[in-house]
Amino acid sequence: MLKKSLLSTLVIAGSLVSVAAHADITIYTAGPAGLIKKLTDGFTADTGIKTDVFQSTTGKVMARIEAEAANPVVDVLISASWDTANDFTQRGLLLPYTSPNAAKVPDFLKSETAVAQGISALGIVWNTKSGTPKPADWADLTRPEYKDLVNIPDPAQSGSSFELTASLVAKDGWDLFKKLNDNGAIIAGANADALNPVLQGAKAAVFGAVDYIAMGSQAKGESIEVIFPASGTVIAPRPMMIFKSSQHQDEARKFIDYVLSEKGQKEVAATYLMPARTDIPADRPLISDLKILPVDAGSIYPKRDETLATFAKTFGK
Amino acid sequence: MKAGAATGRISGTGPLFWAVTGLLLLLVAFPLAFIILQAIFPEIGHASLARPFSGMVAALGDWKLLGMARNTVALGIMVMAGAALLAIPLGVFRVLFRLPLGRFWDLCFLVPFMIPPYIATLGWIMTLQPRGYLQQLTGINGAGFLFSIPGVAFVMVLSTFPVVYFAVSRTLEAVGQRYGDVARVFGASPLRAFWRITLPLATPGLAASLLLVFAMAIEEYGTPAALGRRAGFDVLVTGVDNRISDWPIDLSGAAVLSLLLVGLSLIAFFTQLRILSRRNYETTGGKPQAIERRPLGLWTVPVLLFFAFAAFIACAVPLLAILATALQRTLSGGLAFGNFGLQNFTEIWSQGSDGLTALMSSLSLGVSTALITGLLGALASYFVVRGTGRGRVLLDALSVLPNALPGVVVAVGLILAWNQPWLPVSPYNTPFILLIAYCCILLPFPVRYANAAFRQIGTSLESAARVAGAGPVVTLRRILGPLVAPSMVSAMLLVFAVASRELVASILVAPVGMTTVATFIWRQFEQGSVGLGMAMAFTAILITTALPLIVLIAMRRTRMVL
Repeated sequence: MLKKSLLSTLVIAGSLVSVAAHADITIYTAGPAGLIKKLTDGFTADTGIKTDVFQSTTGKVMARIEAEAANPVVDVLISASWDTANDFTQRGLLLPYTSPNAAKVPDFLKSETAVAQGISALGIVWNTKSGTPKPADWADLTRPEYKDLVNIPDPAQSGSSFELTASLVAKDGWDLFKKLNDNGAIIAGANADALNPVLQGAKAAVFGAVDYIAMGSQAKGESIEVIFPASGTVIAPRPMMIFKSSQHQDEARKFIDYVLSEKGQKEVAATYLMPARTDIPADRPLISDLKILPVDAGSIYPKRDETLATFAKTFGK
Repeated sequence: MKAGAATGRISGTGPLFWAVTGLLLLLVAFPLAFIILQAIFPEIGHASLARPFSGMVAALGDWKLLGMARNTVALGIMVMAGAALLAIPLGVFRVLFRLPLGRFWDLCFLVPFMIPPYIATLGWIMTLQPRGYLQQLTGINGAGFLFSIPGVAFVMVLSTFPVVYFAVSRTLEAVGQRYGDVARVFGASPLRAFWRITLPLATPGLAASLLLVFAMAIEEYGTPAALGRRAGFDVLVTGVDNRISDWPIDLSGAAVLSLLLVGLSLIAFFTQLRILSRRNYETTGGKPQAIERRPLGLWTVPVLLFFAFAAFIACAVPLLAILATALQRTLSGGLAFGNFGLQNFTEIWSQGSDGLTALMSSLSLGVSTALITGLLGALASYFVVRGTGRGRVLLDALSVLPNALPGVVVAVGLILAWNQPWLPVSPYNTPFILLIAYCCILLPFPVRYANAAFRQIGTSLESAARVAGAGPVVTLRRILGPLVAPSMVSAMLLVFAVASRELVASILVAPVGMTTVATFIWRQFEQGSVGLGMAMAFTAILITTALPLIVLIAMRRTRMVL
């Protein structure tokens, strides 16, 4: 029995090895699994360059890169937070590259070392069958009609939620959040945890949900609507970057070129993200249609811990 | 393998002992060492020892830490107590009495273990929250109960009690009715014989499984995060995850908090050791014994109702919630006739072979992990219980630690350890790293179960084998192996169940390009496709349940008692 089980273990283990195929470039990405699959499939079909993908949340991708730092594996990183690109640039980890296809990408969505793949924005996601009036602005959710019916994604678990919180506080102070707490709004974990109860109708609205995910659900027939508040919201450009440590820098550059090509950007638009290039049409409101709150990264990030602590205290956590 | 042949016992320092110890050190101590290094040196990932202890000071200086530690212990104890209250009566009725449908109930209580905890929790939320399934069906909702501290404990008890159920039934099976019958001959009432003789003799299995439940409860992240936060109930592991869930991340702080969890589980481990060292639990001597199951008589119907109730809340409610979610076209459409359809199931299989590949990967990983940990766990446990060497307490402790480490931290430790540039060969970025991760996390199950089983076997059997001329390996294979086999099979089924759906470590440590069932489902959730995720979850649960079912039937054929 001992020999048999050892043997079968070896056979099974052997079958696992076949899964690991060697690829030319390794891409780490936060966000839409469907999108990265389409992009890498199209890229390999066009160029013959093979890719391997690790897809997770920004936090998990970053944790992996930090833990691997002594012996990096990643060639190209697509994150959901521009701040990660700033940090890696400062630490001198990134390869400067300007893709010829980035000509139509506005200046604020590119730097020497990073360029946006696409852009998401935060909005109010509202259940149209909730029996509540359609909200038009953040402050509407403090009204008695929404008593106990509002979810807020935790800014400690999402970079863009943090930027929204910080910039709203910088504009008007903590008053809005105190009122939300008085109205029974709750902190509901990460984006998906906040959105699900709104789909089923347990809650009426999410205060600051990631827009493209909700638009995808809406397209599938869920009775929800994404509303961009009149007083402004924040956007989250998703930076792509190449690591200096990469052994396949030419192939990595070609991948960036592909994502910024017309074909690549159309795939981005098809997932309801805003494409980075201004000349690609999209079936959704674009940056020019939204009022964008000013986000002063230089002043909000140093105060992150303090802001999160005040936020937690405001909601009695 | 001939070590100690002259003495008839495998000596505490033979080559097999060192091989087992070496494997344990590699599987558990190697990554653990890097977690400790990470806790002390925040920049160890960059191969730098700069700013030692800075992360530790910051993490331990957190004003909320004391409350979180208190909540963690409280939750661990609540879940342990709840699991004991539910599982002990179930196990006792299953083994000591003639219970109709015995194997069916075994299967019902294995299923909660097949359901990933975060999916079971989501199922409960979707059932009990306002406008959830319960309200859609009956007009009432249970949100007040669910999003409370008892609610957290309730959901966690339902996903952990099988550990106690299987351990109690396996040990009681070995104890049998014989000692209780002796007490009855001396005039004890049936109840008194049970309380004073039979149940105390089952202590090893009970204590071992409760230790596992405690460690699982303090390590589990999903349930307290989803249900407890609204009640202001923060535990240590939510603190760990917060440090790794978004940019900027704090690996050092996460490692420090995880070591606190390890400390807690070590305290529990030594408490268990003290309880077990007080008495002798040997019940399996040379005499063969057939289990005389007593008839339940008038109690048959109430006992069956109790089993049905337990199976309903632990198995049926989560499964039905998962199925209902998977079958609805849209969640906002609710449980309406026109809203049902198979489109989530068809979409999963039309997306290409990804779902199928993920399923195959998870199944092979589950089976491999069960076989490896079963063999290694049984050997390690043999040395701990029977050995004479000094290293055996170390061996025992090593094999309990990973249970209390949050999966995400085990993953970080494994990456730090196995991605060192100086290693000549490394399993990192191959599927073997997942196998190593699962073996590390799940080794405690077979070890605890085997420890309990070995404690019940009298040494006279080994002496008899020695007299008959059997060497130590033959004794282990022919005498002890078959006697601990039922316990090992139970433990390996549990390992298979967990390994084929492990999420937390897999998310971080999976090799590039590889998807497991759990990461596949989790990605669907992250993208807001709850129905798709649930369709995959339901399919995976069905398939992973079929495998143990085949094992159970095969064992019945070979007349192995289970």
